[in-house]
Amino acid sequence: MIIPVISIFLMAPRMVNLPPGKVLMVLQPHHDDHTTDYGMGGLIAKFTEAGWEAWYVRASNDEKDGANGYAHNDMINLRESLAGTRELGMKGVYSLNWRNDYMDPIPLNELREQLILLIRKHRPDVVLGHDPWGHYDRNPDHRKVARAEAEAVWMAGLSNVHPEHFELGLKPHRVPYRFYKARVDYGRGHEANAFVELTESQVRKKQKAYVAHRNVYASPAMARSVRQQLEAQGLVIPELEGKSDEEAAVMIEEWHMDWISRKRGAENGVRYAEIYWFADEFDSLPGLKEYLGANVVKK
Amino acid sequence: MRMLALFLLLAAGLWAKTILIVAADAPDFVLAAGGAVAAMIEAGDRAILVRVTNEDKDSYGLTAEETALRSRAECEQAAGILGIGKVVHLGYRAGELGGVSPTEIRDRILFQVRLHKPDVMFIPNPYAEYVEQLDRHYVGMAAEEARRAAALGNHQPPHEAVGLKTHHTPELYYYAQPVDPRRREPESTATFVPQPVVKDIARTFAKKVRAAQALKTSNHAMAMRVRERLEATGRRLPLLDTVDDASVAKLAELNVAGLAKIGAADSPYRMAEEFHYAGKDFQVPEKLRAK
Repeated sequence: MIIPVISIFLMAPRMVNLPPGKVLMVLQPHHDDHTTDYGMGGLIAKFTEAGWEAWYVRASNDEKDGANGYAHNDMINLRESLAGTRELGMKGVYSLNWRNDYMDPIPLNELREQLILLIRKHRPDVVLGHDPWGHYDRNPDHRKVARAEAEAVWMAGLSNVHPEHFELGLKPHRVPYRFYKARVDYGRGHEANAFVELTESQVRKKQKAYVAHRNVYASPAMARSVRQQLEAQGLVIPELEGKSDEEAAVMIEEWHMDWISRKRGAENGVRYAEIYWFADEFDSLPGLKEYLGANVVKK
Repeated sequence: MRMLALFLLLAAGLWAKTILIVAADAPDFVLAAGGAVAAMIEAGDRAILVRVTNEDKDSYGLTAEETALRSRAECEQAAGILGIGKVVHLGYRAGELGGVSPTEIRDRILFQVRLHKPDVMFIPNPYAEYVEQLDRHYVGMAAEEARRAAALGNHQPPHEAVGLKTHHTPELYYYAQPVDPRRREPESTATFVPQPVVKDIARTFAKKVRAAQALKTSNHAMAMRVRERLEATGRRLPLLDTVDDASVAKLAELNVAGLAKIGAADSPYRMAEEFHYAGKDFQVPEKLRAK
């Protein structure tokens, strides 16, 4: 007998604190993905303020991002990703240098192997990245890196996966916790199940990390345009008076980061927040999760 | 009386369905669909399992070759417990399907569809979210496509030369272990698309447990991974203080029981499995059905 069923399991995001651990790895395609209007910068700062060692893996060379031509963009974006991640207290950046926006046809298993190698080297307790199951993400690099990440986090724990790594003294390591982000305005693809509360200090770091990417954000032309539009309506923003277009652009972008952090906070009953899909350590064993929760004891 | 028994036997044979199960790996199929398939077999249907990967990665302390060998034997044992009559091993290396042509996988499954002419297919749900083993996604995509392509004569024309006719499979079950929080949501209100269903597995639960326990290599790896994770964080699970055949079998049973409980949520059943089901009306618009 077939019984059709419909039920809604989804609930409002729950507050998640930092899981136990000490190493964070952020797996992303681009220089600026560590801090966007849909997440990460505040959470990364939360980890590093708590003493975690944090690494950024940038899979592409970012040659398309910016108005300076391929090679220059590549160089500027690398410099700015070092600056941005430094604002967040991260320890270092690995650039895999796959060609920006040309990642769809690259071998998935090769990219995955690079991530597995770095996971085995640093043994992160948490990986942050794009949601591999996000819908409508039209950026090929986001999709590709997320898909490689989805498997790398658990396959790094299997001794029959790239056993050549063990010649270097590395050992299998399965990543127990994952935070995934994606735009929530892209259809029904990504629905957050968790929010993390941010402090004022973490939001300030997020702002600084965001505007470190002057090659793509905080454009003086944007500030000029905003001011012209306001002027046409007889309006001004007092805080921007006397500032150069570049200074005004930085302020506007910082307000944007502040606004989105407040918005996510208000939606979840706190002052500042970011929202994620959070995967707990035994989520991949749904049949055992309840039993483990009830029967695991301290040593 | 004898004639009646003979008639009933013949009738059962005529009405029996052929089920083709496509799986990336044995644990996924057994845990997500083993109970429902066993129930259909107990009711008289016959089943064939197409196992796409060789499962050479999922072990603890064994080489890939030894893992593949053991997993194959254990898969056949589990299939036998569920009553599956035949297992076809396609032999792709586990975890590597992201580097294999989807069309190649599709066409190998398509061959099996035309060979066995199933009435029902069980395939991994490629749209299930947060299923970390992407082999299951790739196999689901390939199998879904194979079901369609097997009915179209312009796919694999050489098949006709060897007597393989086109075949349409009228019923389709998409299975996945319950990690997708939106799995109970209907895909849409359209009549075309598979809808969520649950199937009672209380009668075949014990059989499913035994089939799951037969997958000793992957169960042992699961137990060791859980134990290592707990040890690394200053915790322990008393059941796994000693990891041996008995404790691993118990863990497998608990896993099946936990999954059955999740599957039965919001249903009239005590133990169940969840699917997306596309029945005979699949792809027939409602306005045309009356005609």
